[in-house]
Formats: sequence, C-alpha cells, structure tokens
Amino acid sequence: MLLVGLVIVQTAGLTIHAFDRLDLQRLAQLHDAAQRTMNLYRGLALLPQGEPLTGRASILTEDDQTLHLSDAPPDEAFTPTPPEMVRQLAAEMQLVPIPVLMRPRDMVFLGGGGDFENVLVIGLRFPDGVWMHLRTELVTPRPWHSFNFLVAFAMMTLAAGGLSLWAVRRLTRPVVVLARAAERLGRDVNAAPLPERGPAEVTMAAAAFNTMATRIRRFVQDRTLMLTAIGHDLRTPITRLRLRAEFVEDEVQRRRMLADLDELEAMVSATLTFGRDAAVEEAVVRLDLAELLRTILDEAVDMRLDLEGLIGMDGPEHLTVSARPLALKRALSNLVGNAINYGGGVQVRLGGPVATLAGAMVTILVEDRGPGIPQTDVERMFQPFQRLEASRNRETGGVGLGLPIARNILRAHGGDVTAENRTDGPGLRVRVTLPV
Amino acid sequence: MLTAHQAGAANATQIPHLLVIDDDREIRDLLALFFEREGFRVTGARDAREGRRLIQSGTFELVVLDLMLPGESGLDFARWLRTQTPTPVVMLTAMAEDSDRIAGLELGADDYVAKPFNPRELLARVRAVLRRTGERTAEAPARSIGFAGWVLDPLRRRLLNPEGVEVALTGGEFELLGTLVERANRVLTRDMLLELLRGRQAGPFDRAIDVAISRLRRKLEDNGRQAQLIKTVRGGGYVLAAEVTRN
Repeated sequence: MLLVGLVIVQTAGLTIHAFDRLDLQRLAQLHDAAQRTMNLYRGLALLPQGEPLTGRASILTEDDQTLHLSDAPPDEAFTPTPPEMVRQLAAEMQLVPIPVLMRPRDMVFLGGGGDFENVLVIGLRFPDGVWMHLRTELVTPRPWHSFNFLVAFAMMTLAAGGLSLWAVRRLTRPVVVLARAAERLGRDVNAAPLPERGPAEVTMAAAAFNTMATRIRRFVQDRTLMLTAIGHDLRTPITRLRLRAEFVEDEVQRRRMLADLDELEAMVSATLTFGRDAAVEEAVVRLDLAELLRTILDEAVDMRLDLEGLIGMDGPEHLTVSARPLALKRALSNLVGNAINYGGGVQVRLGGPVATLAGAMVTILVEDRGPGIPQTDVERMFQPFQRLEASRNRETGGVGLGLPIARNILRAHGGDVTAENRTDGPGLRVRVTLPV
Repeated sequence: MLTAHQAGAANATQIPHLLVIDDDREIRDLLALFFEREGFRVTGARDAREGRRLIQSGTFELVVLDLMLPGESGLDFARWLRTQTPTPVVMLTAMAEDSDRIAGLELGADDYVAKPFNPRELLARVRAVLRRTGERTAEAPARSIGFAGWVLDPLRRRLLNPEGVEVALTGGEFELLGTLVERANRVLTRDMLLELLRGRQAGPFDRAIDVAISRLRRKLEDNGRQAQLIKTVRGGGYVLAAEVTRN
C-alpha cells in the first residue's frame, strides 16, 4: 500500500521534472536556432558584393539545416509558428550584433508548432531584396529515453521505500511493544513496567500504561490483602469451634457440627484461593500432565471406592507440559470433582499437542454421564458464587467457586476451560486447553 | 501459666508434656483440655518470649508452635529452639502458606497442620512424631534424595523423573515412597506400611497398600513383568532396591 503510493508520487514528481526538462530543451533549441540563423545571415550579408552566395552558404550551414536563397519569402504550407515562439526567436536574434544597414528588412517564421513542430523555417530578407530561407530540423525532446534517468528513478524509489519502511517501523514499534505489554499484564499483574522513553507521544502512552498497570496492581493487592485478612480472622474461630466440638457429648450432634465446620472451612479456603492470585506465587516447572491426571483420578477413586468402575482415563502414558504444579492440580481436581459430584463418574480424555495460532496446545476433556445442565447456564457455571440450584443438589457442597477457580488458574496458564452438553448422550463435557 | 493438672512424680516420665505456643488464649485452653483428655500434660505459652522462658526452665517432649505469633515470629522461635534442644516441633501454619511450611520443615520442624486444623489430625501427628522421636537422627532434613536417577524432594513433596520433569504423587504415595527411600534396601513389612497409610485412605487398608505400590511402580516405570526398583518380598513385604544419595 505504502509502496504503491510511493511509486505514484515518485512517478508524478519525475514526470513534472521531465516536462520541465522538455521546455528547457525546446528553449535551448530555439536559442540555438536563432543564434545560428543570425550568424549565418551576418556571414552572408557581410560577404563582399558579387561573391556567389550559395557556395559560401554550404560551408556555413550544418547537417540539420538547409539553406537556399530566393526572391520570394518562404511559402511552405506549414502552420505559422506560435506567437510565443516567434517572440522568443526574435528576442534571441536581436542579441546578435549586426550593423544597422545590414539588418534584415523582413522576417517570416513557419513551423515549429502544430503538425510541424520538428521543422522550423525562418525567412530573412536582405537589404537588397533577396530572401534567405533557412530550414532547421528540431530534435524531438525525449525525456524518458535516458539510461541515467532510469537508474536514478530506480535508486530514488528504492531509497524512498527503504527510508519509509524504516520510519514506519520506528513509528509502529512502540505500538507493538505496548500491545505485548498489555498481553503480559493480562497474564501477570506484576509484569515489569514499560520503559518510558522515545518520542513524546510514545513516552506518554507508556507512562499512561504504567499508571494503569500500577492501579490494577494496587487493586489486586488490596483485594488479596482483604481476603487474606478475612481468611486469617476466620481461622481462629473455626479452630476454636472444632476444639469445642470435641467436647460435645452427643455423638450425632458432634459429627454434624464438625461437618458444618468442614463446610465453613471449605468455603473460606475456596474464597481465599479465588481471591489470591494463584498465578503469581508458584514457579513454573516441567511436569507430566498424563501422570498428574492419573494421580487426580486415583485420589478420586480413593475417596469414592464405590465409583471405581466409573472413573477412567484415555490418553498417552506421558505428556510433559510447563505449568505451576499445585495450581494446575487444584484446577483439574476441581473439574474432576465437579464431574464426580454432579455426574456420578468421570472419563478424562487427554489429547496430544496440536499446533494453533497461540502455539502448541493440549486438550483435556472431562466428561460425565450426569444430567448435564441447561444450555443457558453453561457460561454462568464459570462465574463466582453461581450455584445452579435447580439442577444441582445442595448436599453436594461447595460455594460455587470450584469452576471459577479452575478457569482463573487455566487462563493464567495461557489456556482456557469451556463446557458443553454432550451430543453423544446425556452428560456434560468440560474442555480444557493448555499450552505445552 | 500451668494449666496442666499435676501428675504424680512417678508418672511424669510416662505422661508426655507438651508446650503449646499460640497467641489465642481460648485455643490454648481448649488444646490443653483436649490433649489432657487424651493423656498428655500441657503447658501453654502466649508468645515466643514466654515459650523461651518455659523451654529453659522445664522439659517438654514436644512443642506445638503457631507460626503466626505477635512479636517474634514462630519461625524465628523454631530456629532458636533448634540451637537449644532436640525437642520435636509440630507447626500450626496458615492455610496453604507453602513458603512458611517449607521454611519450617527446613528449620527442622517435624510436621505441620494447617489452621484451622482438625484436632484429631493434630493429635495423630503429635503421636506419630513422638513415636518417631526414638529413632530420630540428628542430621538435618535432606533437601533432595536421589535414587536410580529419580529425585525426591521431601520438603516440597515433589518427585522428579530422570529428565527433571515433575511427576505427581498422592499424599499416600508420597508417604509410602518416602518411607521406602528412607529405608532403602531394607525389607519393610506390610504392617509397617499399613501403619503409615492409616487415615489417608477411605478404603480397606490392606488393599490400599497393594494399590499404592502398583501405582508407584507405574509412576516409576517399574512395572515390567519383574519389578526391579520396588521388589516384592515373599512373605508380605516390599523393598526399594537402589543406591540412595542425599543432599
């Protein structure tokens, strides 16, 4: 786009230049023709009387000129010379000094314009009445037919193109840097700030971006601090209640109290996990995803031995990915736990890495054979504190943070999690994507 | 501040004496009641300063230490304690504060429970630590244990394969592997292993051992026809056959 524009501008510029050159060339030719005509005239006029004019004339004329003498003015059927040109010629001819007595008594101009622009005929009458006809071939100016011209054109175009590309890159680089920084901030709120240098506008944009990042960071920190404080404050009373429950005589009441406390603790712990930016704390390591999934399923079987035949996995023996092990385990455990609690069993399918625009991604399908959920609630499932009471039983526990936590963690890894009802029968299919 | 009932002098050696350091008075008192019911003697301390005074003036079989203390932190106290006495320590840590837990274990704390803890779990840990104390060695906890190319990190509870890739373990598998590695090349009876896994599984224990061993073999890629790393010993036991290096 830019290059096409550049070529057009270049061409236009060079065309103007070429026409300008054309005018100049024509002017120079007229000047030349006028001078030579007058020199010839003077040469002939100053000849001693009686000399044969024609013989001398042939010596004075050149290849592009033909001269003859006549008693009559030139009468070729040429269009008359344009007045502008006549004025120029006349002016040039006056510059050649000739004694007053010898000056031409009359002048006629023909050609040099219209259909005969390449031929100019000038007729001059000597004082003795004889006409001198001088016919000059004008060279057609050819502005494009020059090797130098082509080379110059190519070089100018290349130079202008190169410079423009360099300038455009220089101008757009800060935008690319800004876009990358925004992407980084999305994943890690503690990403390093942008350097604030370069042209004024770029510095301003970088400073504004950094201010925004600082505000977001402060907001996240405030939220984390608040949640941690709440969690800490709740820990002590829950601990006291647990201890008190140990002294409750009634076995049934005691068990119920402990169950309530477990639920309360699970809620606090889930809220804390949700509030804390899990992404910033743990280091990324290489881990075996296939083995991690099997371990999660093993733990699920240990908890629910009655479901052993309904919990299974398809996939490769090993699949190494880069991830935060505890966070990823929490996310995947939440999905598996969800399937077991609401779907009464789980089948996990791990697919090998597939190249996508965002790099190589693995897919994990977590499928159950439960009732599924209404299509309209699919997205709501991933929002915090949304429990789909209509289809899901309160007894299964939880505060509605399992899936949002899983989504936060997976998105922080550069992956995602979505859900859909299965088309091959009843049940829900949760689809996880994760970069390798 | 002695809340413990005074046991007879003759009994003092049989009844374990616990020092509970926690800034919440009610938790201290309730823990005292709870542990006394279970047959312990308990002394409470409000903060590190009081704990320090009590340690210097009496003898305790075990310290239950809250890491979140006003003033001097629990970690600093644990560090000081290690220079004074080999008394074992069970930490009470904040929920999922991994860094504190690891720091505490590196300092030589013997176990931990996360607050808000289940009193029965704390009791089980305290008893397990006291049982172990007899066979405790003075050496610092290993940061990593290598065997047959694999690396076990006991503090972070991680297992790395020979390529350095982390391989997930369940809690039970970790305990089991840790014990096998700890006593490598020695036969461990099923009873010993059962003891270890008790309370971690919902199912029948004897089945759990076999399941856990077979899962471990699968993870260690030791599941050929003849297992080479974790060998079955005729008569009901297992042995980890490998050279073990500690760092």
